[in-house]
Formats: sequence, C-alpha cells, structure tokens
Amino acid sequence: MERRVPEVDVTTLVAMPDQETDSAAFSEEALTHLDTLYRGALRLTRDPDRAQDLVQDTYVRALRYQHSYQAGTNMKAWLFAIMRNLFWDRFKGGRQEDLSLDDLGDFALYDTLKDTSAIPETQVLDRIAADEVVKAVEKLPPLHREVVLLVDVEGFSYKDAAEIIGIPIGTVMSRLHRARQQLQKQLYDYALESGIVPAEKTA
Amino acid sequence: MSIGMTCDECMQRLDEFVDRELTDAEIREVKLHLEFCGPCEERFQFQSDFKRLVRVCCEQDKAPAALREKLHKILF
Repeated sequence: MERRVPEVDVTTLVAMPDQETDSAAFSEEALTHLDTLYRGALRLTRDPDRAQDLVQDTYVRALRYQHSYQAGTNMKAWLFAIMRNLFWDRFKGGRQEDLSLDDLGDFALYDTLKDTSAIPETQVLDRIAADEVVKAVEKLPPLHREVVLLVDVEGFSYKDAAEIIGIPIGTVMSRLHRARQQLQKQLYDYALESGIVPAEKTA
Repeated sequence: MSIGMTCDECMQRLDEFVDRELTDAEIREVKLHLEFCGPCEERFQFQSDFKRLVRVCCEQDKAPAALREKLHKILF
C-alpha cells in the first residue's frame, strides 16, 4: 500500500518537545473543568446520555482548536463557549415555543410571599427541595436557562457571559432578570401545591 | 426617609448587587442605604439567598467516571 510521506517542517520538529508539554498541560487544565461542563450539559440537554455526548464533543473540539486558546486566559469560559455553540447547532431544529417566556409582569417571589404568606420568606426558600429547583431551571426556555447557568451557577460575570453567548451585556441582564422571575414564579407555584405556603392565605 | 439613594434607586441595583457587578463606590452607596432601610435589606438578602439556592441545587451532579476515563484516553 502506498503511503504518503508527510512533509517535515524543521521548525515544528524543533518545537516538538515543548508542544507536547503544552498539550499535556492544556489537557490537564481542561479536565479540571469536567464536572462543571457536565453539569452545564446536563441542564442544557436535560438528558444524561446527551449530556455525556455533548461534553465529549466539546473536549474533542477543544483539543482540535487548542491553538486558538491563549494560555492564562479563562479556560472555563472558553470551554463553555465551545459547548454552548455545539448545543445550539443541534438545537436549531428545536420547537419555537421552547424559546419564549411567559410575560410575568413584575413577579417577585419575595413581594408575593410578603403580601400573601404568614411564613417568613427565607423559611420558604429553606423548605424548597433541591430537585424542584433543578426542575424549575430545566423548565426555563434554553436561551434563559443558559444565562442562569452561566451567571448564577457558574458565577461568570455579565461580561464573560455576554462573550460566551455572543450577545450584549444588556441582553444578558434582561434575560437573567426575566429568567429569575420565571424561576421564582415556578417555585412559588410549587410551594403552594406542596403546602409550603398555605393556599388559603393567598389573595 | 432615604439615606443617600431612595428605595427605588436601591432596588434598581438589586440584580447587579447580588451578581457583584457594581463598582466599589456603588456598593458603598447601596450598603449605606441597606444599613438604614430594613425592608430593602431584607429584600436584598432574599435575592442573594435565592441566587445561592439555585447555585447549590444545580451544583450537585458530578461527571460519570466512565466519561472521565473516556476523555482521558482522548486527551492524552
């Protein structure tokens, strides 16, 4: 069988040992973000198998484009940007209604509880089960969900979140605001249904 | 009574305050108001507790060991 002999560039040969060390260091650092990326993927896809596929594809792409990563910059943000781009490439066929949010006006859980409930507001938060919070996050339309993931869960600044998504900071802020309203409304409904907040007190 | 900023002005900074997006000077202004305004202080505390609740609840999953091994093979 005929084999093509790859052209050898002397400069790359000389640079080899260093590049290998760099590549190992890159992979090492990238793997420290695995749990974080997996969690994000799980919330985005809402499915463990799809989340694993998404994370794996993210690492494969990161490895391929590692030359475009500048050492010392925010690798977590860089990896998240790759992952959300992959996710959205796949999501394009998604249903349109998944993208919109109900208009909740000025709903704020604190004010609602203050007006209608005899229970101290913070006690209500303490009684909400963790998986109900996760469910509420996963029910958000993906555009809003990803902002909550980036800013609230991963602690990215508005600026980093804006760069990862590729939108203006103002859009990050408005999406975040509406996402939180929606989250609080859902958790309020859950608190009513589950009796954490007694229903008869509501106006 | 309002110290420095009004309650409305303070509430407008709620999201940015809990997200640590304000400048040091702005933080000082907000904190000054909160120190003297119980209702706003409670409201801010609630929002910050809510943010923490979302983070803590969503942080609990860990990547499966099989995925980690697979990636190790891909990366090294």
